[in-house]
Amino acid sequence: METPHYVAARVQRALAEDERTTELGIRVDVRGEEVYLRGQVSCDERRHQIENVAREAAPGLRLHNEITLVEVREPGEEEHL
Amino acid sequence: MRELRIAAVADIHLGEDLRGHYRKKIEGIERRADVLLVGGDLTRHGTIPEGRVVAEELSGLPIPVVAVLGNHDYHSDRNQEIIDLLRDAGIIVLDDEGAVVSIDGVRLGVAGGKGFGGGFAGKCASEFGEPETKAFVRHTKEIAERWRRALKDLDADHKIVLSHYSPVKDTLMGEPPEIYPFLGSYMLAEAADAEGADLFIHGHAHAGTEKGVTPGGIRVRNVALPVIKHAYTVYCLNGDHC
Repeated sequence: METPHYVAARVQRALAEDERTTELGIRVDVRGEEVYLRGQVSCDERRHQIENVAREAAPGLRLHNEITLVEVREPGEEEHL
Repeated sequence: MRELRIAAVADIHLGEDLRGHYRKKIEGIERRADVLLVGGDLTRHGTIPEGRVVAEELSGLPIPVVAVLGNHDYHSDRNQEIIDLLRDAGIIVLDDEGAVVSIDGVRLGVAGGKGFGGGFAGKCASEFGEPETKAFVRHTKEIAERWRRALKDLDADHKIVLSHYSPVKDTLMGEPPEIYPFLGSYMLAEAADAEGADLFIHGHAHAGTEKGVTPGGIRVRNVALPVIKHAYTVYCLNGDHC
């Protein structure tokens, strides 16, 4: 079995460098044959695309997509400086 | 003197899939703010079609919009064309320079640009060794010097530095410390502290925190969208009321 450390590094690089994702802020953890993706993105399509790219970079492993959607809220209270 | 209401956001990462979404959130911004500052990473890949989406989403607002690019906006080597098309859409884009916006007679000076990394005092890269390392550090050094001169030349009542990269560690809390040198540089803070400013706005650190301060006492705000979780945040300068 490939060392989990290197699998995680490969997935993280793929997410950053693949034109379909270019996501730098996703955390990738590999434990045994399980891959965990964590972070925030702004739409569901991006969340799925990240999963697809990660799956290609870590074939045969079980993938857990724990990425959450950032909900952009209306502006709140202002700060006085 | 009238107080200024500064709306700020960064890392909006627009693309075809988000066309129209951000615009909806900033409709009516003129009731809450006098100017909108956008701290880079306007796109995902820095392509021309994405740049056009940004221009559509940010143009035609009743208040001035001042923006800088981020590292994502450089990814496809079309950064200059993106700057041009945003400027054609009426957006003020700072590329290591300053601009003054007049708001009811109050002059707001904004200086800045993308910025770059290198790390923070005591734990940073130096202009030493391989040419690649020297080029990395020199890039930040040259940017900081251009910002210092731009700040000095601003003839304004209030001054703000607008950047993508962070000037301090404070607003990176939450990011892994190992990547701090890729998230900002103390040289950006040093330039601002040398000439003085009321506020330093940046983005880039999605997992960081909003509030910090430079060694010289300038308030720093990380307005990356995943940090502020709102379409923008409003900071009021020089006034008890907004």
